[in-house]
Amino acid sequence: MWLPLLGLLLGLGLGLLSDMQIPVIYQNYLSIAVLAALDTLLGGIRAQLQEVYDDKVFVSGFFFNVLLAAGLAFLGVHLGVDLYLAAIFAFGVRLFQNIAVIRRILLVRYDERKKVRKTTNNHKII
Amino acid sequence: MKRFAFTRKQFVVLVVCITAGFIIGYSYNLTKEERMMTIANLQDYEREDNYREQLIDQQERNKQLTTELHEMTVAIRDYEKKMVDADYEKLVAQADDLRLLLGSISAKGKGVRVTLADADYNPANVNPNAYIVHESHVFTVINELKIAGAEAIAVNGQRLRTNSYIRCTGPVIVVDGKQFPAPFTIEAIGSNDSINASLNLRGGVLDQLLHDNIVVTVEENRMIEMVANKQGM
Repeated sequence: MWLPLLGLLLGLGLGLLSDMQIPVIYQNYLSIAVLAALDTLLGGIRAQLQEVYDDKVFVSGFFFNVLLAAGLAFLGVHLGVDLYLAAIFAFGVRLFQNIAVIRRILLVRYDERKKVRKTTNNHKII
Repeated sequence: MKRFAFTRKQFVVLVVCITAGFIIGYSYNLTKEERMMTIANLQDYEREDNYREQLIDQQERNKQLTTELHEMTVAIRDYEKKMVDADYEKLVAQADDLRLLLGSISAKGKGVRVTLADADYNPANVNPNAYIVHESHVFTVINELKIAGAEAIAVNGQRLRTNSYIRCTGPVIVVDGKQFPAPFTIEAIGSNDSINASLNLRGGVLDQLLHDNIVVTVEENRMIEMVANKQGM
């Protein structure tokens, strides 16, 4: 449980401390990569909660999504079509869906736990 | 297996999380830099605006002061004119003479006009410096005129004061901050005889100028009018 969080913090620290410069034209790709990464992370959490998590799917999804988004944006720039909008739209919609699913699962679990506690308490009283 | 050893699954998750964190952090860093740059730009604009306003204020104040100065000078003149006492009259005449030398009042009288012009383009001579008028030539003429007793001197209509300066800036010369191109007309009011004599000395100024391939025209005994130099009043 603590390991992914630690990794996230480590990565954040590295990113904040790194002093690399990239050309302005590539900053579009970076923003899409951020979206893709966030989407995949939340997707992983959702899968874990739904107990369908598979690490192969997770890892391949992460890198493939990031690359696909960047590639799409690249293609869009060269074709004169704003294809990166498609990526942003898709990832945005999925981000919200994933968060909604996670929220529902957590709510259901919380309710169940409450019920269980109540019943055990009742048993004690009786 | 030890308790803290990574399983493959954990390792993979760790790698993904580090990558995601890195991307997010890096992107945040870049955006922050951009934001800072925009803020710095805005500050620059504000400062520029501020300076411009200060400059405008200063210029307005200058204008106001110049008007005031002008009014005061006129008042002084009126005051001097009212002096009828013989003693004071002498002093007033002396003050007028001094003002004439300073160039702060307009002058009118007989004098000479010396015109220095560049020689025609000479294909045989590669160096153009050999046939154009330099500020040193203007200097020599002015110095000679001053030595010969000229009371008022003007270059291309710009009256010279005691603290005037002449500077060479490429193809033009700068007299008290104003640019003048060739040909240069140097006018002098003063004792005609001495000025003519000194200019025409054998081996003197004119000979030197002619030797430097400059087209010199001297008009003697002309009525010359000069405006005052308002800059140094």
